[in-house]
Amino acid sequence: MSKIISIHSFRGGTGKSNTTANIAALLAKDGARVCVVDTDINSPGIHVLFNLDDSDMVHSLNDYLWKKCTIEEAAHDVTGRIGGDIKGQILLIPSSIKPGEIARILRDGYDVGLLNDGFRDVVDKLKLDYLLIDTHPGLNDETLLSIAISNILVIILRPDSQDYQGTAVTVDVAKKLDVPKMVMLVNKTPSAFDFDDVRERVEQTYDVKVGAVLPHADEMMTLASSGIFSIQFPDHPITKGLQKLVEQIKK
Amino acid sequence: MSSPLFDSIRKELEARKDDIRPSDIILFSEPLRTALNAVIHLKRFSLTEFAANLPFTREETKLLADLLIKRNLFELFAESPGEPVYMARLSAMTRPLTRPPTDLWKKID
Repeated sequence: MSKIISIHSFRGGTGKSNTTANIAALLAKDGARVCVVDTDINSPGIHVLFNLDDSDMVHSLNDYLWKKCTIEEAAHDVTGRIGGDIKGQILLIPSSIKPGEIARILRDGYDVGLLNDGFRDVVDKLKLDYLLIDTHPGLNDETLLSIAISNILVIILRPDSQDYQGTAVTVDVAKKLDVPKMVMLVNKTPSAFDFDDVRERVEQTYDVKVGAVLPHADEMMTLASSGIFSIQFPDHPITKGLQKLVEQIKK
Repeated sequence: MSSPLFDSIRKELEARKDDIRPSDIILFSEPLRTALNAVIHLKRFSLTEFAANLPFTREETKLLADLLIKRNLFELFAESPGEPVYMARLSAMTRPLTRPPTDLWKKID
């Protein structure tokens, strides 16, 4: 059965898009057919990780929302762009990076119901195993829509007081929306921290399972979004942690 | 005669003037909230499936579904004799993203 997974963080800069891209890569590596939707229309960025340029984008999520194309026409096959031995397939529905188009959608809005229909349709039409929704940070009605229709919600936070407070709000809302499964990912953890202690405290605080506690890593910063970390560094502790998270998602 | 619980939920929906948004779902009284969450996860659902999540008669459930259609949360997808099939669209309205989330935080608080 296909699964819809929302990847969310209350605050920006948690590594949400990077995590989404890596989850997609690891699922596809094992043979799954995965589609990633960039719903961060205000500040799109995940296309960079898949090496997709503006000039390569035939259609975007914006075009679908303006009824210029179908949702499947906005999907780009990025499997061959990330390297590695990928047995499955990765499709990406990017948000437009044209300043005029971002401004237009911010100014005019869009039919949120269409976004709802698009998520549902793309799973069937592209025969997906997984639909990953890269959400906008924080909470708004569009994000709540993604969370409400998801089978799994992955919540990313850093071990930081501001993240802890905001995440509590997200978890509370997700529980009220009866999301069937929630998994937390603690990202960018300083090496001085006791990772088992961090995991235990987060699980106790939110009553949600922690899929992985990932270390802060210079290699991630050095990669600078020029590729998918788990493909470039398959034996790194971050990749091992992401694999554990993916196992939780597959269960 | 309808139950006080049904009457209070019906009044709650009838009092609404705007379309229902995802953030409204978290505020609905039980058992409506849980029932809506359950059918939202189904792509399409019948009146029977909606009714299975509510402690009301089929006629009462149909009345609630009609109110939810009026507020653009449900859409009638197909109707075979006595068995309407719905889709939950979670808001069919267009709105600027720049519009302040206004009451969202109040709802969460």
